[in-house]
Amino acid sequence: MTRDTEQLIRQLANSAHPVRRLAQPYVRAAIWLAISVSYLAVIVVAIPARHDLSSKLSEPLFVIEQTAALATGIAAAIAAFATVIPAHNRKWILLPLLPLAIWLGSLGPGCLQELNHFGWQALPLDHSLWCVPIIVLVGAVPAVAMVVMLRRGAPLTPQLTAALGGLAAAGLGNVGVRIIHPEDVTVMLLFWHIGAVMALSAFAGSMGHHFLNWGSTVRASENTAR
Amino acid sequence: MTDTLDDHFGQLMQAAQTGDGDAYIQLLDELTPRLRQIVRNQRRFLEANDIEDLVQDVLLSIHAVRATYDPERPFMPWLLAITRNRLADSARRYVRGSAHEVHVENLSVTFPDTRPNTTMDAYGDPDALKQAIAALPRMQRDAIEMLKLREISLKEAADACNTTVGALKVATHRAMATLRKMLVKKR
Repeated sequence: MTRDTEQLIRQLANSAHPVRRLAQPYVRAAIWLAISVSYLAVIVVAIPARHDLSSKLSEPLFVIEQTAALATGIAAAIAAFATVIPAHNRKWILLPLLPLAIWLGSLGPGCLQELNHFGWQALPLDHSLWCVPIIVLVGAVPAVAMVVMLRRGAPLTPQLTAALGGLAAAGLGNVGVRIIHPEDVTVMLLFWHIGAVMALSAFAGSMGHHFLNWGSTVRASENTAR
Repeated sequence: MTDTLDDHFGQLMQAAQTGDGDAYIQLLDELTPRLRQIVRNQRRFLEANDIEDLVQDVLLSIHAVRATYDPERPFMPWLLAITRNRLADSARRYVRGSAHEVHVENLSVTFPDTRPNTTMDAYGDPDALKQAIAALPRMQRDAIEMLKLREISLKEAADACNTTVGALKVATHRAMATLRKMLVKKR
């Protein structure tokens, strides 16, 4: 063993304070969800929910859509937390696919109905872009909580982890928007809302290596030791 | 790797997570030669100092994410996942770094030295140099022609030779060493 490495080992051992073991991904996802839903509740109080919410909650498709969007967010959170544990089963990454498919599928009947009604040429895609900042606002605290929690793990796949984290936050943000904003044109929802969720997820993925990398992880552990 | 050894490392890490410094030193001491072996096997072209740098990177990473080890799971897959990831990460950093790298010779710049005061900077016997380049193995010759004579970028040259930037750098380095030997002999 070289002198430098030996010295490094002694330094690491000297700074080896007790560490709180990382909980299982589903437990961490539950903690993240509790933080996020609390914040969502505050937002719904601050910006009142849509006036027709009680009647919408009796529509099976609306309930399925929101449940699937929420499940996509939760599944993406579990998958994101699994990716920061070395040697954890990578099959967890596929977890959000099923709820995501159900979410997209729940918009299918409405899309077909509109297609029959308007035809391809006249599909109503006009939309004020205000839903995007609302998704960002509703998803902001969940996103920050997600980043803080992910940074406690190992940055093995920064882009994938961040994209899954972004999907979790944006999926939850979309549920918030649907509770707040009375808007039900399904092709438009598919195009703008899910498009925004996917775009935010892709953006988070592209930025992943900035906040999830070995350099900052090692530095953070050194700072904690001081 | 036997289950017993895996259990042994797992127990040491479990103790280290609770702040047991002695167990932690023992664990890292026992892991280091194994890590060095893994790095050496994966990066045969690296020199001892570079291998040691990588081993230290892995040790720092293990330390930084030791909270992610779950004693219910085997230790070695956890360790190998970190090691492989750090090796891949260092390879990516190397490629990114070399893309922006400009190689310069260590030239003397002091006025009393005669070499920087010469008006021409050409090799004295161009024919001998041409012959020496022609005698190089094909990969090394291509590397010298593209990088030193035509001055095209490492990436473009690597694409043209259907090889990697790293391999091309090694070929250039070897070619320069061979040329130096050949030309010194002729003098």
